[in-house]
Amino acid sequence: MTLHIDDNLEQRPDGTVVCRHCGTAIGIAADPLRDARVRESEPEEAGPSVRAESRHFTDRQVILRQSICPQCLTLLQAEIVPGDELSFRTRSLAVRS
Amino acid sequence: MPTIPVAGSEEFANAPVSPEETRRIVGDAVRLHDVDQAAVDAVDPLTYEVIRHRLTSITEEMGEALKRMSGSVVVTDCNDFDAAIMDETGDVVQVGLYNTELAASLDMAANWTLRNRCRRPGIAPGDMFLCNDPWVGGGLHQNDVSLLAPLFIDGELFCWTGAVAHQVDLGGVSPGSWSVGATDVFWESLPTPPVKMVENGAIRDDIEDLYLRRSRVPKLVALDLRAKLGANNVAHERLRALCEKYGAVTVKAVMRRTMRDAETRLRVKLRDLPDGSWTSVAHQDSARAGDRGIYKIVLTLTKAGDRLTFDFTGTDPQVDGLINCTLTGLRGGIMPVVLTMLCGDIPWAPGGIWRCIDVISEPGTINNCTFPAGIGKASVASGWATTNVATECLAGLLDAHPEHRKRLMSVCCGTWDFALLAGVDQRGGGFVTMLCDSMAGGLGARSDSDGVDTGGLACIPMGRVADVEMNEFAFPMLYLWRREEADSGGPGRFRGGVGASSCFIPYDSPLGGVHLVVSAPGKALPLAAGISGGLPAGTQYDVLLRGASIRSAFAEGRIPASLDEIGGDRELVAAHHETDLGPDDVYYTHWQGGGGYGDPLLRAPGAVAADVLAHKVSVRGAEEVYGVTFDVRGRLDEEATDRRRAALRRRRAGLATEEVPS
Repeated sequence: MTLHIDDNLEQRPDGTVVCRHCGTAIGIAADPLRDARVRESEPEEAGPSVRAESRHFTDRQVILRQSICPQCLTLLQAEIVPGDELSFRTRSLAVRS
Repeated sequence: MPTIPVAGSEEFANAPVSPEETRRIVGDAVRLHDVDQAAVDAVDPLTYEVIRHRLTSITEEMGEALKRMSGSVVVTDCNDFDAAIMDETGDVVQVGLYNTELAASLDMAANWTLRNRCRRPGIAPGDMFLCNDPWVGGGLHQNDVSLLAPLFIDGELFCWTGAVAHQVDLGGVSPGSWSVGATDVFWESLPTPPVKMVENGAIRDDIEDLYLRRSRVPKLVALDLRAKLGANNVAHERLRALCEKYGAVTVKAVMRRTMRDAETRLRVKLRDLPDGSWTSVAHQDSARAGDRGIYKIVLTLTKAGDRLTFDFTGTDPQVDGLINCTLTGLRGGIMPVVLTMLCGDIPWAPGGIWRCIDVISEPGTINNCTFPAGIGKASVASGWATTNVATECLAGLLDAHPEHRKRLMSVCCGTWDFALLAGVDQRGGGFVTMLCDSMAGGLGARSDSDGVDTGGLACIPMGRVADVEMNEFAFPMLYLWRREEADSGGPGRFRGGVGASSCFIPYDSPLGGVHLVVSAPGKALPLAAGISGGLPAGTQYDVLLRGASIRSAFAEGRIPASLDEIGGDRELVAAHHETDLGPDDVYYTHWQGGGGYGDPLLRAPGAVAADVLAHKVSVRGAEEVYGVTFDVRGRLDEEATDRRRAALRRRRAGLATEEVPS
């Protein structure tokens, strides 16, 4: 059975994870965003809610990391994190055929 | 200076102990009341519901008693306290709805007290034990002081009640016990393991003196002590009446069944949710004044069948600073979110709910630190960050279910915006107070609606913000404004609730100014994450304006309404800072909103336009983040919005051109 993962993703019975908006395969159960387009940029690109540059407060680089559907370009995941860290954000639903 | 291990401190490194093991340890030192399964099964449904709801109302009455007796605005107006009823070994039967983070480890404190005080000095009717040692339990940092009261019925320890509240000052280097320069616990308020503060119904003068001597505001703390004593007395009076009416066996049977019901119903809900795992991270910038590091808590939540496992493997080691929390802080980070997100329709009986939960955490990490790590800010630092990461993972779990996803919520206000004032008040007396304005944090977005603007905090269901006038009446300060801030809610298909800001000056103190302690991270990076493509909420932003011409503005009949109008020399305030505010200085503090849910470019343009009209989102935010365009008259331009959104999708994906291929 198809599982709803979140607002943008669903998991097919074979474990394939697809974009709910355009049906493009994005990843697999163990790595749902494996084939997503990932872009890293300055945190200020998140908009005026980032009130001051991070360099005032830390020496580590801080980035906006966005994971995007390669087909319809829907934003699947966004985080503002230290740039020297890989993303910890992931999930894995059990495959139920 | 490196943190030096302290011999003997392991005695206080508490962890949950089973009822069976507790009974074995206590032996015949104290007679513990008990009922068998047959008694639990014999309670009829009507009696069960009547008594269960009575227990709930008793915790509310405890809260009311505490508020009416306290003289601290933090308690009377902001509800930074809680109360609970526990069974004879400390399992929580009913937790109050106030600050559930504070009450999350009352069980550990009551249980430790039972095991360690049952022989010397002994536990007898009329006794109450004070505790503010977060390694033992009962609170998350030293300011959370609990008073634990065993209730005896017919010579047996029938149950415990506990009241816990934030005390505004218990000593330490900095006012408010918020020592922003702390590298370990010895800079901070002295942790006090459970001590018999009340004996045979009377406060012990010698112990009270020992307790109050450390505080900058001992009379206020003494009043709060009596407020907690009163809360326990009210509870005991009500519980005795309940036992007289229904019998102690029946009341205890209801306590047992309440916890069993909570466990059973949570297991049913968990079985209905898909199995899987969710991993997330919560950061904190700065561990103490002058520190520019960023620290992380990593959580992998695994749901298998009817169990949840919170695995914090990968979390950073404890640091030299005040942001660490003990195991009680970790538990305090988990339980409030489990209650609000999973148990809205289940009795709030953590004693049963914990039976469905496993925790994996390595001692020596920032949310399970060992003595003598600094923990002065534990509740709103690593405890809070644990709440953030638990929120994100539980939201992910719920999102995977078509019905339960309606109960998810993104991360709320990413941290506590701590501003503490101290000095001499307008009546000439010494004062210390924590400003609780950020109780009006933004709540996280949901899967089908926006987060509540300035709706509160996830871990304090009944948190309140004091009226501006109450703060001005009680303390030497004058507000220029307290208001919601546009763009502070995390953008998303559903927007996070907006946070707010306060701007004030010292006012009417005979000293002219006041002392200010700031401890507010989330400045280098936002701490309220979005989910499912939603963006994080805004960053924390604090500014000091020195030498402002505010008083001449008043003389001219003007009240400045922006930082530009205030003037003066601006200082961007670091996450941890301590300074004096002079008579011509202005402090501006802007706390965070809730995280967003879903892609912001999928938000209905009309909703964005309404947000702009309501000052929840600025025109710049609408255009840059939501891609919503307005015509020259300020009306929504839907065609231009479609074009702008298509271009923004390509821009944020890093495509070479923003033009959409035909």
